[in-house]
Parts: sequence; structure tokens; C-alpha cells
Amino acid sequence: MKPAPFDYVRAESVEHAVATLAAAGSDGKIIAGGQSLMPMINFRLVRPAVLVDINRISGLDRIEDRGKHLRLGALVRHRMTASDAVIARDVPVLHAAMENVAHLTVRNRGTFCGSVCHADPSAEMPMLTLLLDGVVRIAGPNGEREIAAADFLTGSLTNALDPAEMVTAIDIAKPAPGTGWGFAEFARRHGDYALAAVSVLIERADGAARNVRVAVMGVGEIASRIVPAEAVLEGREPTAAVIAEAVAALRDDIEPMSDLSASADYRRHLAGALAAKVIAQAWERAA
Amino acid sequence: MTQADISVELRPKLVGSRVKRTEDPRLLTGTGQYVDDIKLADMVHVAILRSDQPHALIREIRVGDTSSVPGLIGIYDWTDLEGEVRPAIPTSRMKGYYATPYWPLARGKVRYVGEPVVAVVADSRYAAEDALGLIEIDYEPLPFAIRQVDAVREDAPLLHEEAGTNVIVERTFMRGDIEDAIASAPVVVRGQFRMTRKTATSMECRSYLAEYDTRRRALTLWTSSNIPGIIRDALSDALDLPGSRMRVVAPDVGGSFGGKGSLYHEEMLVCLLARKLERPVKYVADRLEELSSSSQAFDQLIDGELAVARDGTFLGLRCDVIGDIGAYSIYPWTGGIEPVQVISFMPGPYKIEHYHGRVRAVLTPKPPTGPYRGVGRPSSTFAMERLIDMAARELGMDPADLRRHNLVSDGEFPYRTAPGIIWDQSAFQQCLAGAREAIGYDGLRVWQEQARAEGRWVGIGISSYAELTGIGSRIAVAPGMPINTGTETAIIRIDSTGAVEASFGIASHGQGLETTLAQVIADELGCAMDDVVVLQGDSSLVPMSSGTYASRSAVIAGGAATQASRALKGKVLRMAAHVMAEPVEDLEAERGWIRSRTSNAGMTFKEVARAVYLQMGTIPRDIREDLTVTETYDPFLGTACSSTHICVAEVDRETFGVRLLKYVVAEDCGRIINPMIVDGQVHGAVAQGIGAALLEEIVYDDEGQLVTASLADYLLPLASDVLDMQIVHIEAELPNNVGGFRGMGEGGTIGAPAAIANAISDALAPLGLGIQTLPATPERLFQLIRPHLNTLEENTK
Ligand SMILES: Cc1cc2nc3c(=O)[nH]c(=O)nc-3n(C[C@H](O)[C@H](O)[C@H](O)COP(=O)(O)OP(=O)(O)OC[C@H]3O[C@@H](n4cnc5c(N)ncnc54)[C@H](O)[C@@H]3O)c2cc1C
Repeated sequence: MKPAPFDYVRAESVEHAVATLAAAGSDGKIIAGGQSLMPMINFRLVRPAVLVDINRISGLDRIEDRGKHLRLGALVRHRMTASDAVIARDVPVLHAAMENVAHLTVRNRGTFCGSVCHADPSAEMPMLTLLLDGVVRIAGPNGEREIAAADFLTGSLTNALDPAEMVTAIDIAKPAPGTGWGFAEFARRHGDYALAAVSVLIERADGAARNVRVAVMGVGEIASRIVPAEAVLEGREPTAAVIAEAVAALRDDIEPMSDLSASADYRRHLAGALAAKVIAQAWERAA
Repeated sequence: MTQADISVELRPKLVGSRVKRTEDPRLLTGTGQYVDDIKLADMVHVAILRSDQPHALIREIRVGDTSSVPGLIGIYDWTDLEGEVRPAIPTSRMKGYYATPYWPLARGKVRYVGEPVVAVVADSRYAAEDALGLIEIDYEPLPFAIRQVDAVREDAPLLHEEAGTNVIVERTFMRGDIEDAIASAPVVVRGQFRMTRKTATSMECRSYLAEYDTRRRALTLWTSSNIPGIIRDALSDALDLPGSRMRVVAPDVGGSFGGKGSLYHEEMLVCLLARKLERPVKYVADRLEELSSSSQAFDQLIDGELAVARDGTFLGLRCDVIGDIGAYSIYPWTGGIEPVQVISFMPGPYKIEHYHGRVRAVLTPKPPTGPYRGVGRPSSTFAMERLIDMAARELGMDPADLRRHNLVSDGEFPYRTAPGIIWDQSAFQQCLAGAREAIGYDGLRVWQEQARAEGRWVGIGISSYAELTGIGSRIAVAPGMPINTGTETAIIRIDSTGAVEASFGIASHGQGLETTLAQVIADELGCAMDDVVVLQGDSSLVPMSSGTYASRSAVIAGGAATQASRALKGKVLRMAAHVMAEPVEDLEAERGWIRSRTSNAGMTFKEVARAVYLQMGTIPRDIREDLTVTETYDPFLGTACSSTHICVAEVDRETFGVRLLKYVVAEDCGRIINPMIVDGQVHGAVAQGIGAALLEEIVYDDEGQLVTASLADYLLPLASDVLDMQIVHIEAELPNNVGGFRGMGEGGTIGAPAAIANAISDALAPLGLGIQTLPATPERLFQLIRPHLNTLEENTK
């Protein structure tokens, strides 16, 4: 389990990283925390010719409070996201989700942006980015661009980056004050990738749910918003019956896969059970 | 007893106290030395191309252009080794048994995915792995039966044609008239039980380093093995070298749990290559290789039936077992090691008159099964303890009471079980009572009623078991196998500086035997513990050795240490008596001092050593004795070690996840040498049992491919899966062996899966469901429970 030979470049700046990727054609790869990339390289599932290390680029390791949204730089580690006071206060749903991400050593290295780039169908951060109207900020040979998370996450382990591009930061929206939230997941062991997870945001106005967002992971190709379930809840009071209706819509909408750890049937059941719980939770928390 | 004797008895002993492990300072500060830490000049590295076919003929092996791989030294397949090695053959007298030969590399045919086929030697492991990509093997696939139920059929494709069958072991144990017992019993419960395939996964992967000394024409193998003595004897035969030129050393070893307790292809391979190349050759398995080629465990299909009288008395037990032993009969234990133990131990610690146990061990294209902590008994205990709970439910009796009714009790020992195992006096009943009391069993049942009323699925599970430990020369794992597991030799010597050096054939790999044996020696010899160095894990220390396995070391090496220390103490006191001019009867030794009980005379061990070895003339030559002793101990039969586990578990109604809420172990391991180490063994083994009950599972798909090929898929228990457990030590009547020790290195893995399965079954009892397959994964529970829950079913639609 040793990697095939590769060249290694320690990027001094974003421009340097992008130029090195461009020079490598399509054989370059960014390494951030390395927590997903290194196992794949060691199994020789990925064989980059050039590894571009962004860990020494200054300025990328910050969580910036920009009023209506937060900007998470490409070197923000899971540990920082999990312990950031502004996130805990303004985006509690993300704070709660981070509890479930991996283990201490992985959290010390792994990055938020790396997780979104890696786009594992069972990873928390892609789901949270979708839930929080994430915008992915990208640097490439022709300058910068921004794209919505939903357009960035194109499928399991794939994203919308061109070979010479890198993600410099991800912006996530702070939910409006008083927004109720819920997050629940089930994994075989604490810190494992989840078999299923659901996150929900609900605003409350005149006794009805507004701006409802429901996102799931682990039950499809990639994390996704469940628009039919949101539609069921939108503008209604989430009574038990309404929640059951939303859960049914959710179960209808997802296409879970069967694999070693869980069948599609079980995943579908699980997603519904978790959704019922977190929708109720979010509604209760909504002010 | 005289006054003086009593004062000796009352002095604090090392045996029985929580002495800190003397191994830990080096291990915890990173100065332990594992095989991979050993770096020799000129050393080269091996990478292995393994079969990706479950069953196939090797048609051709082609190597591409290797000029792109700098540092490549050589590429070898079996044809390059012909004539240089004899196969290792795990012989046995078992009737109808076929012993599959073991070769370093597959010879013309592969029999499981992961079997070594080609060895690449290079100056780094990186280069060796790069060269693997240049090798192409043309296979001609052969038919195969991957599941044991198919492989036992008469028309199944044969893995070893020479055997003429896939069923290479078939044994039956019986007593009484089982047909009649079952036919006439008022209550009979039955089930088909299975603990799925598992593997040991120690933290250190298998690692080997061989060095050939051209001057002496001698080989040394450093191996992460727990049986260096057995490996030495096997390699000596395979390579045709006398023991004086074939040395096997197990340095610090990072766990085995049985997985490093058999001969491996690669141990033969590195020795052959080192001799061929005249350079040290190292091979270290990576995790993928560890999971796909180390010995595996369990995977018996057990059909069990228990016949019970109305009052709860067990009348008869029948079991029919098909053990999936993988592609080879493991060396030296044979493929019977796990499945035969299942029927040997199936009746457990209970009185059962009528018994019929039949086992077939069948070859399938998977890595061989071998010893795994608990050997056979985790599965037999799981099946038996489930049957007992099923019977209790049927009878409307409390499961704890039903066990109490049937456990062998004081006054009934020694008890001979139907398969012929003899339980010497052990605390069967006291363990059950002790565990009940510690967990507050009666109160728990009340709590359970309330929790059930709230709709919770909570259950209480019990398992009682006994194991035979410290087994002497009377009983072989497989009759007629080529090794002796029943004796242990201690050589203890005091040198001219007064240092005490004690050599054994055992091979500690985490058990702390350097500490516990030093405790025994210091007490028995009367020296200071700091002066004792325990040497082990090296075949050159004693003439014949095997290693550490089967809960034998504390019992057998402890017995040898006791005997040798007593003999050596006699010598020390006789020499001291002469120097001190005191009667030898008046002398006693303690913590390195020899004192007279009747005068103020005294001297140190060091002074005695000087007098014996250095001060010419102090001791007349006709009475002078060297301060060395060799003693071999053979406990002949073996001693029972018993335990009861009680566990409380809850199944989540929404996720079907299992949470363990409480855990108690009550155990009798005889005289405890070091309670801290005993606790550690229990904690670790229960953690492994939790893994077997809830998480760990090796899966092969229908194509014969390993699906659980990394630790992301083969799930080991994490710290967050292991709960705080309470341990009750019961030192009942001591066994009739030297030292009074019982073996206790395995137990937790035996008791925990059954207790957890019973707790989950108890939780699901209101639904009329129970566990028959472990691990009880959320997926399995979902599939089990869903059809029985109308409301849930509606939700799921
Ligand atoms: C034992 C273990 C358990 C884990 N459990 C979880 C879990 O429960 N939940 C979870 O979400 N994750 C889990 N992970 C994964 C972990 O969160 C990873 O850190 C994360 O998925 C990837 O982040 P990274 O910084 O390590 O990325 P890397 O491994 O460095 O890179 C991953 C991929 O993203 C690309 N990439 C990284 N950064 C950039 C960038 N700025 N621009 C462009 N491309 C980039 C890389 O080229 C690579 O393709 C676990 C990992 C391990 C080892």
C-alpha cells in the first residue's frame, strides 16, 4: 500500500498552485488535509503526476464573518469549524453536524473545502453547504469565479472544477435569526461516514413554516435538498400528520444505494425516521 | 506451622498485587522494538503479488519491462524455489483427515483471493510495489463453491483434488441416547446459529525479517509471531537446517489474538530469499494484506437442539456443525482447530447427560481459519447460551435461574462433559451469583418492565461458560499433530553479579508476562523483582518451545517458574548456609536478602553469587553448586476457568442501532498473579467480543472476492463502542496445579458475544424475535424486525 511515484510541489500562493496545476495538464491534484486523498493514493486508485500542496499558502486558514454570510477558507480544518464561536452562535446546525465528523486526528487535518471538493455522498459538509446556500469560490488560470454549491456538486466524488482550478473558499449563509434547525445522523460507529443524515431549517411566521430547507446525505449519489418534502411543509404548521406527509415525500424522492453496510430499504427507512425527528425539532426551535 | 513460618506467610507477596508492567516504559516511550523497527545493513524488501482469483490454474506469469523501476533486485515465483524447500504439513491422526501442504508461494494453482503468487524484491518497498504493476498472470479459472453449504456437497468442485473431498475433517462426539432424549422431552428448542467470518486485526500487521549468516550458514528469522518455537521447528524441517542454525525470534509483538499463531507462507519465503540473496530480507504486511491473507475465524454453521424437562433440567443436546475453514488446513493446528472445539465445548459448564455433536470442516476458497482468541468457544457459547434463553422463554423460567439449575455445582467436580472434557473444581455457580449480585439483576428486571411499558426495547443477557486452560501433554488440539503444547521449560540462573535471568519458551505479545513471571520468581526465589530479567520470544533460549496461546503461559510457564525458582532457592540457601555457617533450615530469602531466623546473620544474593563463582576456595568444591536450574512443567490435564457475563442492551426503535448500557463480568481465574493485568485482559477481550457481536464481519461475495478489504469496511470497536465494565474476581478453590493459576487470556471474547446476543434477543422478546446470526448489525435487525412491526411497515411505505 505505497503510492506510485509522483512529483510534489509546495505552492507559495494561490496563483502558484493554479499555475502548477495548469502546467500538469490534467495530472495535477491539490492536497489539503490529505485525509481522503492519501488513502486513495496509497491504494493507487488515484495516481497524480504532481501533488500540489496548498497547506503553506497564507491567508486561507480563516473563518471570516462577513455579516450575512461566513467565508471558510480552503485551509479551515474541521477542528476550527467545530469550535468556532460565531458558527456555534449563528449557524448552530453546522456546529451540531461537526460533532459527527471523523475523529480527532482526522479533524485536525481535514478541511471543509476539501470535504466539499471530495464530494463523498455520506459526508456532512457537502450537505451543510447545500442547506446553507453555499457558494464555492474558485481560482483558475483565467481568474476567479463563483458557483452555487448545487452546481458544484455534480455527483459522487465528482465536482465542477476544471483541472487547473482550485477552491479558495466557500461562503455559507447565516440562517435568519430565530430560524429553527435540526440535524441527526446515524453511523455504525461514532465518527464514521453516516448511513444516513438529515438536516433541516425552518422559519416560523404566523404559526406556519416558512423558507423550509431539508437536506439529506448518505441516501443517494450525493447530498441533496429534498424539494418535495420542503414543499409539503412550506406554509403549513408541521403537525404530526404534516410531518408524516413530508417524510413520505422524502422517502419517495430519494434513491438510496445498497451496499455492504446498508440496503436501500433500510437507508430509506432511516432517512425518514431521522427526518421526522429533526423536522419536529427544528419547528420546536423556530421562534 | 511454626511462629517463624507464619511471619513469612503474612509478608506481602508480589503475586496478587497490582504491580505495574515492566514492559510499559519501553512500549509507551516508543523504544519497543518490533520487527519493522529492526534495520539491518544491506536489507532488501519484498512486495507480494497475490491472487485475484478464488480458484484458478496459473498458466503463465509474464513480467514487463522492468527498466523503469530503479532498485529492483529480483522477481520470484514458485518455480524459482523448487528444490529449496519442503512443504509444511499439518499432520494429524484424525480419521479421514487430509493435511494440505503449505508452500511459500502458490504452486501452479491458487485457492483464494489473497494467496501469495509472486515475490518482488527491491531495495525499497516502494520500488517493489511499483514492479508489481509490471507482472501479469494468466489464470485459467476453475469452478468453486464459496459457501460452506455448497462446498460440503458431494458434487462440489474440489479445492485440493488429492484430498478427494472438500470435507477434510469429520468428527462426532456422543454420549447416551440423544434421539430418545429429544423424542421424550417435554420442551425442545432449536435454531441455526452463526457467527460470521472474522479476523484478528492486531495493531501491528504481520512482519518478518530474515538474515542469512554466510559464515555460519545459519538463518535468523525475526517474526511478529506468538509461536516462535513452533515456527523454528517447522522451518528447520522445511529448510533442512538444524536448530543450531535456525533461530526464530519474536521481539516486541503488537498483538496477535491468534492471528499470528500459525505458520505463514511469508515466513518461509523471507528465509528462502535471504539464503538465496545472502542479504537480509524484510516483509511487512499492509492492512489490505492483513485483512485478505491472515488467518480468519468463526464461520461455523451450527444447527443446535436442546431438550429440557419441565423443571428446567437439561436432558439432551444435539448439534451439527459445518465449519468453513478456508483453503488450507492451518499449520500446525489443522483446520479442525475451530470447528472441532465447537462440538468439544458445546455443552459448556452445564450438566447434560445425552449429547450428540457432529462436525464437518470444509475447504472453501478463502484464507484459512486459524486460532482466534477463544478458539471455537465464542461460537459454541453463542449457540448454547441462545438455546438456553430460548428454553427459558418456552418454560416461563427466569434465564438466570435456569442456568443455576443446570450448572455443575460444588460437590459435582471433577465433572466429565459428554465430549470428554474434565472440569476440575471451579466457581461456576459463584460466578453466576456474583455477576447477578454485582449488576443488581432482580432490580434490573423491575426496571426493564417499566422501560418496556414506555415502549423501549431493552434487554438483559446472560452467558456462562467454562474454558479449559493451561492444557498439559494429555490433550492435543489435533491428535497426532507435530508439536507439543503441553510442557514449558524454565531455565533460571543467577550469574556472577547476582543477576537473575529466567528463560522461557513462551512469547508474550501484550500479556505482560515479563512482569507476571518476574513476580512469581521473585516470590518463590526470594530475590528482588528488579533483579529478575525474563527472557522469552526466542527459540534459542530453551531446547523445545512453542509460544504463548491457548491461555497457557501463566499456568504452564508460571508452574515451571515456580518449580525452577524453588529448586534454585534451595541451591542459594545451601551455599549461603555454608558461607554464613548457619543451619540451612534456619535461612529464609526475601527481596534479595538471605537471613537467619535465629540470628542476625544475613547476606545478599549478590554476595552468595560472588562466593559461588568468584571467591575461589570460599565454598569447597565438593559441595559447590552452580546457581542454575532447568525445570520442565507439564500440568498434564488442564484446568477450568469459568465466568459469567451479564449485559444490558437497548435497541433503538427508529435506527435499529444497539447501545450497551451495563456490563458485568464475574470470573474465576484461580490465584491472581496481577489483578491489573487480569482486568486488562478482561477489558480487551470484552471489547473484542463487542466487535464480534455488533461490528466485525469479513465478507466474501459470490465471486469469491473479499468485500471488506479495509478498516473502513471491516469495523473494529472504537473507544466509543466499549462501555465501562465491572469485574468481579472470584478466586474459588484453587486448581490442583503448581502455583494454583488458571488461564484467563481469552475469556471475554467467549462470553461477550453470547451475552450481548441474549440481551438483544431479550429486548426483542415482546416481538417474539431472537438473534441467530452475529454481528447483529442495524441492517440485520432492520430485516429481522420490520416484518413484525405493522406500524413501522406503514411508515416505511
Ligand atoms: C477515518 C476517517 C473518518 C472520516 N470520517 C468522516 C466523516 O464522518 N464525515 C466526513 O465528512 N468526512 C470524514 N472523513 C473525511 C475527512 O473529513 C476529509 O478530511 C475530507 O473529506 C477531505 O478533506 P481534506 O482536506 O483532507 O482533503 P484531501 O484529502 O486533501 O483532498 C480530498 C480531495 O479534494 C481535493 N481538494 C482538497 N482541497 C481542495 C481545494 N482547495 N481545491 C480543489 N480541490 C481540493 C483533492 O484534490 C482531493 O481530490 C473521514 C476521514 C477518515 C480518514
